[in-house]
Amino acid sequence: MSLDLTLRAAPTVPLEAEVLSPARLAGLSAAEAAKLPVVHGNERADVGDFFRIGGAADGQLDITGDLSMVKRIGAGMAEGRMVVHGSVGMHLGAGMSGGEIVVEGHAGDWVGAEMSGGRIVVKGNAGHMLGSARRGTPVGMRGGEILVFGNVGNEAGNGMRRGLIAIGGDTGDFAAVNMLAGSIVVLGHLGSRPGAGMKRGSLIAMHPAELLPTFSYACTYAPVFVRLYLRHLRRLGFDIADSQVNGSYQRWCGDGIELNRGEVLLFDAAGTASRG
Amino acid sequence: MGSPLRIVNGRVYDPANGVDGAVRDVCIRDGEIVVDVPPDAKRIDATGMVVMPGGIDIHCHIAGPKVNLARKVQPENHYGDVQLRTRLTRSGTGGTVPSTFATGYRYAALGYTTAMEAAVTPLGARHALEELHDTPVIDKGFYVLVGNSVLLYRLLHEGRREEFRHALAWWLNATKAYAPKLVNPGADELWKGYRNANVTSLDDKIGALDLTPRRVIAAFIEAANELGLPHPVHIHCNNLGHSGNFETTLETMRLAEGRRAHIAHIQFHSYGAAAAKSQSNPTSRARDIVEFINAHPNISADVGAVMFGRSTIMTADAPLAYMLRRFGTGKWVNADTENESGCGIVPFIYQDRVYTNALQWAIGLELLLCSADPWRVVFSTDHPNGGSFMSYPRLIRLLMDREFRKEQMARVNQKALNQSGLRDCQEREYTLSEIAIITRAGPARLLGLAAKGHLGVGADADVTIYEEDANKEKMFSAPRYVIKDGELAIEDHEFRVSREGRTLQVAPEYDRGIEQVLEPFFEDFYTVRFANYPVDERYAPHAQIIPTAPQAATSPAGSAPR
Amino acid sequence: MGENLKTVTDVTCTFCGCLCDDIALTVDLEQKRITKAENACVLGRAWFKEHGVEQRPFALIGGREATTEEGVEEAAQILARARFPLIYGLSDTTCEAQRVAVALADMIGGVVDSTSSVCHGPSVIAFQRTGKSTASLGEIKNRADMVVFWGGNPAEAHPRLFTRYAVTPKGMEVPRGRKDRTVVIVDVRRTPSTPAADIFIQVKPASDFEVLWALRALLKGRKVDPAIEQKTGVSLTVLEDLVARMKSCRYGAFLFGMGLTMNRGRHFNAGALLALATDLNEFTHWVALPVRGHGNVTGADNVIAWQTGYPFGVNFSRGYPRFNPGEFSAVDLLARGEADAALIVSSDPAANFPKAAIEQFGRIPVITLDPKVTPTTQLARVAFTTATYGVNVSGTAYRIDDVAITLRPAFESPYPSDEQVLTAILDRVRALLGGNRLPPGAPAVAPAPAP
Repeated sequence: MSLDLTLRAAPTVPLEAEVLSPARLAGLSAAEAAKLPVVHGNERADVGDFFRIGGAADGQLDITGDLSMVKRIGAGMAEGRMVVHGSVGMHLGAGMSGGEIVVEGHAGDWVGAEMSGGRIVVKGNAGHMLGSARRGTPVGMRGGEILVFGNVGNEAGNGMRRGLIAIGGDTGDFAAVNMLAGSIVVLGHLGSRPGAGMKRGSLIAMHPAELLPTFSYACTYAPVFVRLYLRHLRRLGFDIADSQVNGSYQRWCGDGIELNRGEVLLFDAAGTASRG
Repeated sequence: MGSPLRIVNGRVYDPANGVDGAVRDVCIRDGEIVVDVPPDAKRIDATGMVVMPGGIDIHCHIAGPKVNLARKVQPENHYGDVQLRTRLTRSGTGGTVPSTFATGYRYAALGYTTAMEAAVTPLGARHALEELHDTPVIDKGFYVLVGNSVLLYRLLHEGRREEFRHALAWWLNATKAYAPKLVNPGADELWKGYRNANVTSLDDKIGALDLTPRRVIAAFIEAANELGLPHPVHIHCNNLGHSGNFETTLETMRLAEGRRAHIAHIQFHSYGAAAAKSQSNPTSRARDIVEFINAHPNISADVGAVMFGRSTIMTADAPLAYMLRRFGTGKWVNADTENESGCGIVPFIYQDRVYTNALQWAIGLELLLCSADPWRVVFSTDHPNGGSFMSYPRLIRLLMDREFRKEQMARVNQKALNQSGLRDCQEREYTLSEIAIITRAGPARLLGLAAKGHLGVGADADVTIYEEDANKEKMFSAPRYVIKDGELAIEDHEFRVSREGRTLQVAPEYDRGIEQVLEPFFEDFYTVRFANYPVDERYAPHAQIIPTAPQAATSPAGSAPR
Repeated sequence: MGENLKTVTDVTCTFCGCLCDDIALTVDLEQKRITKAENACVLGRAWFKEHGVEQRPFALIGGREATTEEGVEEAAQILARARFPLIYGLSDTTCEAQRVAVALADMIGGVVDSTSSVCHGPSVIAFQRTGKSTASLGEIKNRADMVVFWGGNPAEAHPRLFTRYAVTPKGMEVPRGRKDRTVVIVDVRRTPSTPAADIFIQVKPASDFEVLWALRALLKGRKVDPAIEQKTGVSLTVLEDLVARMKSCRYGAFLFGMGLTMNRGRHFNAGALLALATDLNEFTHWVALPVRGHGNVTGADNVIAWQTGYPFGVNFSRGYPRFNPGEFSAVDLLARGEADAALIVSSDPAANFPKAAIEQFGRIPVITLDPKVTPTTQLARVAFTTATYGVNVSGTAYRIDDVAITLRPAFESPYPSDEQVLTAILDRVRALLGGNRLPPGAPAVAPAPAP
């Protein structure tokens, strides 16, 4: 049985609650968990001021309610599993190194920013800066997986160096901007200027996209690693067609202003059909 | 100014007054060291502790336009190093370029009570003073960048030496500076006007002018001495960072011809050419440099030691920063100031395995360990260029603790270590008295601050009390008490008062007629009106003017204070 | 000249970020107004002339007339109670006032943000990624033989940028002024600035980034597909010609406006331009400056940066400064309904913020400091009337090139300065809280060991 937290009093100003993470609550009684500190605006408060606590800790944490004003849930977490039945605010799982977070609703900006390991699943939409670097830092996500079933905002994977980001819906502008390495799969449409400034890494997308003048077409082929990634994602619940798994992809190299060792792979429906 | 205070039973290190670890009381009243205080005065029991004058940083970069650019350009440098506010003190951020409040608190928390910002453009003086106003606790001043001034160059070019001297004095007054500063003289014109070129020797022609760095440097040394400034001209030599630059440094020091001159961060100017034709790595010529200084009592220097880890290169030497940008962490800032200066900023990391970085580290130590006169080769890291001021305690331990130093030497690039002369002087250990000289008494004397750097009667009551510890890094990291102007600023490691320090400046006399010479140039080539250019007294609310006077060319080692 | 007239020379005009400091004002002391502003541009003349002293209450509390002291008490009570207070504006006041505003934000554990976040904030974010090459305006006047204006209309927004600093003035290395410079204007439309250009390049809307990226690629010797013309409206030939000119000048300068920073791509547009200027330094000397609107928005960046380490959008709620544009920028946190009180200094967000952000002002107590009646002062719980900086109040302002200038006031105002009101609020809040508000716990990020 998991430890259950239910939001009973909505915060009136942003609540910062990195303490909401399985390891921090492990082995605590409901009364002890209620005493853990959160920051409500400029004031210290207790978890119990906002949450009703039930169940018992066994490594899984369930949180229920509209947590859109709650920031930093699971930030820095290293282990355990957490399921949020509702939507969450900014910095979900920022800097996390292990464990799993599942959000049934939507998530705010900076999901998994600069994370190094673990997995974040968002069933709804996520905001800007998914798996990205903070301002001024060159390196974003360093490892792990972020799976978003809905749409995401701008700058997904900004400065990403390792790991996998999968997006079921559309992205905003500048997906994979300044990417250093790693993989991003987008099943919906890309916004403008995907891959700007990327050095290495792969951005794989299922729909035609307008690329920057510094990307050059290389070839159309059926990369094996894409097949493996897509099968993996299909097992995780993403809606991926056989034609996409087995299909051909246009390979565009870029960004020519940088190392030119990155690639944007665009699903080539026509090429796939002619290949039969 | 605080109530009267008696520090009892401490071991006192006051080298300027010949006190070397004697257990004695120090009495304070009205912000000064006094002979005695009434018996009911507050007492600080300093048993088992070391009492020294407050530390004085003769060369650091803590305020002004370039410092703020360096702060702004690297938020990542602040994220993980924060200064929490207390009831009394302001919050801030750290990293290699801390916010102003954090700078003041952190200097004080290391036992420093005075710090001199070493490079401010004249046009940036107002900005620098605003930041210094927000730098609490410590006393501070700045050196003004006049060594690439187009207007001063024109006067020299035309041979108008008298007017040149008056103009220099006018500029020191107009900016409320403490000393004139030269940085890579002659280079700005080549950098800005000749497609990012640089000066390579003292005899390069400066653009279209009939002028060379050699003539410029000599003229400033002469004028600063004629003006009787408490600190002579502060020189960042040409060719900083280049292999073989030690010859330029020696030539520059020879230009002083017996007059006073201060060479900044001399570690960066002590490099020999590549050891063999097959390689491009520089070598150490620290020995040549230090022998020259040992033999020339008119010359002083701060070391500019390098400490491993993060730093920020920030300099008025724009071509240097441009060269270093390829080795930095990916950001480069250039900022030109009209008719006055260049500026470059590169976030940087010194790594012990990298040949050049290890050599720089070794040369810094070599210079200090080979120096015969601690009064004239004083402590600095050129914060944050060679490393943050927060690394001073570690550098002190490297000097005082032979075994620790040997351990650290074993970790660095051995090829570099072998090219340095560090092993030849590795047995020396600095004494507490010598540390007090290179971090306090020496800088005070070189700056001409007669009331600082010592604990004699009448001195400013800036006092630091450390708990003795075999680990000198630990000892110098966190003094138990810091007294500033007679007030207990830090007691039991906590701030007790929120206070502002003084702004130190000079006001040499000049012929008012010089303004008629200067104004037309402003009309034509500046974008700030002549009338709006000088900084008024509101920008230095706790100003202290240090008087000018004829200065002796030398001060014998270990002599009593003036 | 009559007894009631006086002349003040070398006055600085704080209408825009150019801060021209050569204005000669004629002041009618009886009428308390400026009758003449010599050397000022059309915008500056209007600015000086409209700043007479009007008969207004010192403060309004809930629409009721009050003294400044009563306003201070009410404002202090609001701010001392607030859990997520926002202090915003600051770009049309002195640095002396800005310093107190940041101190107040720190003391109460609030957020401080300037209008940077809605103008050139993206230029700052771009700067934080790559750095920049920049210069004081006098270098451009003295040396620039090629000037490129991108995404702005100086003729109408910053007239003297052309005449005092960057196009027509004679300089040391450009003794014939305009004749010695190549002037390029890049914009999405023709404007009154266009005739000033030797070369006008019209780009399709929202394709600045592509043009800049193509220029960078050409500079690096990469091939660019001629199809760039369909996307951007600019032919490859034009781009190649521009690159050749930029490489061969002696001293080049970009001056870029909000056409770049406030359009799709924002900080990436600004970043592409800063990177292009940096790349060009491989060949010759190039600098780039943002052309900023408000008189002292650059001062706000500087003051906030030296006090906190970050230039705008700074949150103190956990006891130390945190920076995150998008999270702690005023528009965004208001639109999310986060702020529970707001102190607006010399700014009118109710007139220009998006609807969602303005709606939040209707739900929370708002305090304003402003010389004028504005939509924001009209919705305020406490509205202070303050003296106008640069007209009635001395102090410091920073030009777009970071040069600090001391302001010379023309005549006295009966109203207190922003600095005086903010200081009074700060002192009263300090008394209410017993000093700075203690941090609510340990930092979210453990302090790193000293470097």
